[in-house]
Amino acid sequence: MTLAELALTVAVLGALGLVARRLGLSAIPAYLLAGLLLGPNEPEQLALIQPSEVTDFVAQLGIVFLLFFLGLEFSLSRATRTGRHVVLGGAVDLAVNFGLGLLVGVAAFGFSFAALVLAACVYVSSSAIAVKGLIDFRRLGDDETDLVLAILVFEDIVVAFMLGFAAAGGGEVSDTLVLVAKALGFITVGLAASRWLSGPIDRTLDRLPLEFFLLAVFGLLIGSAAVADELGLSEAIGALMAGIVLSETSVREQIEERFFSFRDIFAALFFFVFGLSIDLGAIGDVGWLVAFAVALTLVGKLAGGMVAGSLGSFTRRQSLNAGVALVAHGEFTIILAQVASQNPLLEPAQRTELVAFAGLYVLATATIGLVLMKESKRIGRAVFRPRPTLIEEA
Amino acid sequence: MPVDLRETRLPGVGVKYTFRTAQGGRVAVIMHVDGQREIYFYRRADDDEPTAVIELHDDEARQLGAIIGGAYERPKIVEELEMALGELHIEWIPVPDTSPAIGLTLADAGLRARTGVTVIAILRDPEPVSGAQPGDVFQQGDTLVGVGKAGQFSAFRRMLAEGPFETEGV
Repeated sequence: MTLAELALTVAVLGALGLVARRLGLSAIPAYLLAGLLLGPNEPEQLALIQPSEVTDFVAQLGIVFLLFFLGLEFSLSRATRTGRHVVLGGAVDLAVNFGLGLLVGVAAFGFSFAALVLAACVYVSSSAIAVKGLIDFRRLGDDETDLVLAILVFEDIVVAFMLGFAAAGGGEVSDTLVLVAKALGFITVGLAASRWLSGPIDRTLDRLPLEFFLLAVFGLLIGSAAVADELGLSEAIGALMAGIVLSETSVREQIEERFFSFRDIFAALFFFVFGLSIDLGAIGDVGWLVAFAVALTLVGKLAGGMVAGSLGSFTRRQSLNAGVALVAHGEFTIILAQVASQNPLLEPAQRTELVAFAGLYVLATATIGLVLMKESKRIGRAVFRPRPTLIEEA
Repeated sequence: MPVDLRETRLPGVGVKYTFRTAQGGRVAVIMHVDGQREIYFYRRADDDEPTAVIELHDDEARQLGAIIGGAYERPKIVEELEMALGELHIEWIPVPDTSPAIGLTLADAGLRARTGVTVIAILRDPEPVSGAQPGDVFQQGDTLVGVGKAGQFSAFRRMLAEGPFETEGV
């Protein structure tokens, strides 16, 4: 990738992102679309950017920053304080949607590790798109918003776990056990570091001049990602751990402020690079699969929302709003597919199909999800009319 | 009657406070992580759509909070208190952001010796200082609670805004 190509890329990202914003859609599908258009696959008239080592590296940085920020925001104490909805709502969502995801996965790949990855892709909703929708459509004040965000927290935890296996899972039982041991070891070291080292790290970072503060944090982040990568756990887990360690320090907000722009740039490029590898030619193979998955997602997320909502004693309209907010899939579906596509234990055909599936599936659900979210209150009023007694009173 | 205030964390967004008003409406205040505030008002507690949404920047929200909380316009109880004090007044004096006193201790600034007004408390986030000591340091954003005679406050405000102080603050 040359500088001119990068300039072109960023210009297209900016333009499509703005259009998406005007239409009230999320930027994530816009970036994917940009990659799809400019990439080497169909449409070939516009094939201006070739995937290369450079684009792969940029994408890797994108994953690292996305997961780093997830780690910074994440904290067990904060997750538990989000309340009872996390466990109850999260469990319902997991049971329903991971189950339906497995159905899609098995239909595509038979009983295999790839099916498990695909199930996770279908299970995990997009926190970024849901939160954007909740803010844009003025839903933050609504009670059911608590339920939506709690479920998203639960999903993030499950997917963080899945990411550890997506990169190298799927081998023999003994290999998988080694992988589990490595993952548990790494997570234990990370959590211990966040428990006992956050004090010293905090004091050191606090004293550094700004320039070295940036370098120190960046070094810690990339170092942790590199260690995890070497262990075969995927850089994503390393970046997540670095975020969790730093989330307990007093400089967390400063880090977020300083690295915000890095994340936005590299995340945009990550989605773009992922878009490059989506082959529309594969639509013949995965088209039916995507359609099947989208249909099941609509059913699963709405049903999950209704059940979780009624368990949390929300009204049916509120539960509908909650379910609809979870339809959009985005960053995690893409990250999972990307990490799994580097997994040497998956067959090449499975990897190509996973990438094509994830790209098209996100394009579809992100659009449908946001449109539904915008209209969900009107739909709710039409479908769940107020009880007759209320009408008589009025 | 104490207000039944509910606090909920919104992961990735901020914190939400909700309560019902005596009129049967519902108010939700969202404090975003970046300092932005949003106030949602639902005319009836179970309304689908908010009747009004107010978006405020950090400084606007603080101003509004001061007005509603009664710190800006002195509440009636303070006026009554002033009557009881006779000749003495209590005034709320915000420290200007450009004040040369910022960074100095109360003792170093010597405002009492020069104007006659005594600082008895400092309102600041997150903890107000009750019973201000000579060693307390003026900070940006402080609001001072001072006791003095009516005529002394104008000199106090002027000196707080412009100095001069023997040792200038940072």
